[in-house]
Amino acid sequence: MIALEPVTVTSRRRRIPMPRWGGREGMAGWIILGVLVLVALLAPVLAPHSTEAIDGSRIFGAPDWSHPFGSDDLGRDVFSRVLYAYRASLSIAIGSVLLAMAVGIPIGLIAGYAGGWTDLVLMRAVDLLLAFPALLLAISLIAILGPGGLVALLAIAIIYVPIMARVVRSSVLVVRNQPYVLGARARGASHWAIVRGHVLPNAIGPALVQASVLMAFAIIIEAALSFLGLGAQPPTPELGLMLAEGNNYLTQAPWVEIFPGLAIALSVLAFNLIGDGLRRSFDPGQLAR
Amino acid sequence: MSAPLEKDGQEDGQKGGTVGAAVTASPTTASSTTASSTTASATAAPILAFDDVRVDYRGRSSTVSAVAGVSLELRAGETFGLVGESGCGKTTLSMAVMGLLPDRAQVSGEIRFRGEDLVTMPAGRRRRLRGDDVSMVFQDPATSLDATFPIGEQVAETIRAHRSVSRREARDRALQLLAEVGIPDPAARYSDPPHRLSGGMRQRVVIAAALANDPDLLLADEPTTALDVTIQAQILDLLAQLKQRHGMTMLLITHDLGVVAQICDRVGVMYAGQLVEVAPVDQLFAAPRHPYTRALLQALPSRAQRSGRLAVVEGQVPDLSEPPSGCRFKERCPHRMPVCDTTPAATPAGAGSVACWLETVDRATNVELAEQVGGAA
Repeated sequence: MIALEPVTVTSRRRRIPMPRWGGREGMAGWIILGVLVLVALLAPVLAPHSTEAIDGSRIFGAPDWSHPFGSDDLGRDVFSRVLYAYRASLSIAIGSVLLAMAVGIPIGLIAGYAGGWTDLVLMRAVDLLLAFPALLLAISLIAILGPGGLVALLAIAIIYVPIMARVVRSSVLVVRNQPYVLGARARGASHWAIVRGHVLPNAIGPALVQASVLMAFAIIIEAALSFLGLGAQPPTPELGLMLAEGNNYLTQAPWVEIFPGLAIALSVLAFNLIGDGLRRSFDPGQLAR
Repeated sequence: MSAPLEKDGQEDGQKGGTVGAAVTASPTTASSTTASSTTASATAAPILAFDDVRVDYRGRSSTVSAVAGVSLELRAGETFGLVGESGCGKTTLSMAVMGLLPDRAQVSGEIRFRGEDLVTMPAGRRRRLRGDDVSMVFQDPATSLDATFPIGEQVAETIRAHRSVSRREARDRALQLLAEVGIPDPAARYSDPPHRLSGGMRQRVVIAAALANDPDLLLADEPTTALDVTIQAQILDLLAQLKQRHGMTMLLITHDLGVVAQICDRVGVMYAGQLVEVAPVDQLFAAPRHPYTRALLQALPSRAQRSGRLAVVEGQVPDLSEPPSGCRFKERCPHRMPVCDTTPAATPAGAGSVACWLETVDRATNVELAEQVGGAA
């Protein structure tokens, strides 16, 4: 009589939106980032030309099929250089934030959980770092150690340590007063077990959000340092460096400037999307569902 | 009887003569059970003893005296109910036993667990006691379990905190415990996060974790308050059963006299940080002696008296940052006397004890006594 329509089971799939990864927004960010990382890794395969091959016939050559992003003042292929530049930019961005997390998270955890004098001493030390303007701190470090990609990574990490520590500490302050922490103590769990098992997993959310935002900033800081000649040194292909060079020829050959700029924007967008997605997933309202 | 609350030396002489009279005059409902438990207390060492315990919360501008001189002994194997309204210090007292009070709380007096003072015990040894010999069940199972932690792991965590067992052994034991507290299909639920379970089931998990190392003493702080009534009864049954099976002593903290009547052997009534009356359950309900206990019982809605307004205890709980001197109930007490400005000592009454001047002071001699006390102070 009545033909029963097959019941769709889409609702079931919908219920697992991977909240920890940042939902739909975060997914877009992860995909872009994934592609960029892949591009960086596969640069030797993907790049149509050598990054240092100077071609006198193509000085300020406009974009065409074999040189999609055009050529620069020495006739080098901008597309190939951008692909390689992602290697430096992404590794500095991700590396500096990972380093900052490795140092900052334990500081924040200890300060927030222990409280009292420990907290006071650790946080004043962190405040001291925080008091310096970020770029000034980086520049003075570079003045001491000399310019270079690794130094830039280290400088950015030092800028980020106090930020990481503060973010973690503030969420630890909330988490450590939760009844489940008291419950764990009542069960006789040691401080180490509580911090590792209960405090860290519950306090890490905001730190991860912060990390993705900081990665976006790291790319910008690193580009700024390179722009000022304090980061990677020529002829290394590097986004900030390329911007600095392209800056002089903006009116004659805008592609020398625009494509590295877009490349920076795209990577910053990816990190920001991930950050926004994560922020939303760690929202208490979302977790309750 | 148990250690009396003696503050001022001059009270002793007055008390000696009147105690006997108070005891014989009291309409004691001493049944065989209360009589036997009284004799037991005289011989068996108490598992937990409070001796003039005080807890002060130090604030910026004021100090709140949350527990003011509580002396009490728990006998091994009994279920002791501690009742009182919110803020009377019953939770503070249990947290003092666990050593989980915030840093700004200052504890004085002695809390002896099997003869050993917990207050002065080193933190490391105290931690090893928690969850092992002394366990606690909290009020709200929704928040006392970690949402990011599988329930089974939270039980296993308790075992691994105290026993050097393999992950696998801890898991097996946790599964066994989950089954014992009535979680259906524990193996399937083991890895579930707490929010997949109902409130009652979560409280069962909390209880399983508390029992993991076969504690001798279980503190249950309002274990049923956050649950609905039918689940309450189940959880109480479960606690009573487990207490029997494991031979535990249980300190049950509640504001629900119905719960007390259901599973407790003896009851302590707290008011504003003071322990005003201790008595076997049947005696407390049949013949409450302290005016506050009487007022509490009168405020219970009863089946016999369906109509009319519910009795209330007049007045307000005193501000504990500036507690009144002497008996803290005096301002709401219908029997207030001048002598109430001095703290009354716990006086034996039937099979229990009462901290009230009515027990020791004959109304006729009250004025005279008050003058003496006032003169001495």
